[in-house]
Amino acid sequence: MEYDELITSQLSFIGKVLSVFSHEINNHLAILKESVGLIGDLIELGKTSSRKDLKEILKITQSIKNQIEQTTYFCDKLNGFGHGMEEPLSAFNIHKSIDELMVLLRRFINQKMICLEKDFTANMPLIYSNPLKIQFLIFCLVEKHLKRLDKNSRIIIKTVYSNDSIGITIIPKGNLIETDEEVICKDEIYKHIIKQLGGSISQKTADETTIMLPVSLFSSSKQK
Amino acid sequence: MKKKEPMKKKKEIKVLLVDDEIAFVNTLAQRLRLRKLLVDTVYDGEQALTYIKEIEPDVIVLDLKMPGLHGIEVLREIKKIKRAIQVIILTGYGTDKDEEEAKKLGGFDFLHKPADIDLLMRKIKEAFSEKIERAMTAATFAEAGDFDEARKIIKKEK
Repeated sequence: MEYDELITSQLSFIGKVLSVFSHEINNHLAILKESVGLIGDLIELGKTSSRKDLKEILKITQSIKNQIEQTTYFCDKLNGFGHGMEEPLSAFNIHKSIDELMVLLRRFINQKMICLEKDFTANMPLIYSNPLKIQFLIFCLVEKHLKRLDKNSRIIIKTVYSNDSIGITIIPKGNLIETDEEVICKDEIYKHIIKQLGGSISQKTADETTIMLPVSLFSSSKQK
Repeated sequence: MKKKEPMKKKKEIKVLLVDDEIAFVNTLAQRLRLRKLLVDTVYDGEQALTYIKEIEPDVIVLDLKMPGLHGIEVLREIKKIKRAIQVIILTGYGTDKDEEEAKKLGGFDFLHKPADIDLLMRKIKEAFSEKIERAMTAATFAEAGDFDEARKIIKKEK
């Protein structure tokens, strides 16, 4: 595994997250701009005197408030993603990390008209590992299926925890299509990351992939 | 007494907005209607292609990244089905490659979100004027029997 290839691939992943994020934010800003603009239009036209006009303006201001809440939620996800890159090891909730990834890549996945679903175990403890590497691993496995599945398919991300190991299974459901689209993450890259994390990969069927990763549990003593 | 001449009714510009951001597209449509445009909305590329088979808008304002068909593919199909329709790309994502491709396919302009309403209005009016001028020039050539030239003008060939 060439070091350059690994770095390039990880940077492409971060670039994908950032470009999808900025696209989403541009859309949010466009909605806010048009909503504020519409209020301005109504005022200029003098459409502010009747009860009906005021109701219309209140409706628009409420939609602005909702949009700001959605944008804040979305920015929080990028904030979490950024914090995950600050240190090589940190304590984190893997379900939150996967959620972060799912929200940040939602637009990219929606374009393929594929539904990403989660089937998370209820007893996942806080783990001590590298969140970026784990998010990158999940992205690699999901991306592979995104390119090969037809529209209206589903990809399920399932997690388990047992004996100081976490298991992440990616289950594709749907029809396969022929494609020559390139992926950001080639097989040897994610296999290399699994090795770096001391984990293993197994396949129940041709498409259903499980990665098992040994993890240290987070305890407050590690904070000191 | 001098007979009053009937006022010529100005042709209304028919615009189709294509974007998967429903809140955005509906608000923008409302603002353009307040500016006396006839506006319809659809939420993806396939709906846009079905729409233009029935109705011919003068100008389409088209997003690029939508579920299903990419905006560039939609533009390519629009130009195959109804070449005369003017297409303005309005996107929050566009790359230089997309911009170049859109130009090659006959897109009228390429704008980035969030765009100013006055700028968008100006571009829609310019696109509409160009469409009308081209149709009139083509008609003049056709009347003179030069059908090849008329066809070239409609297809925007040099």
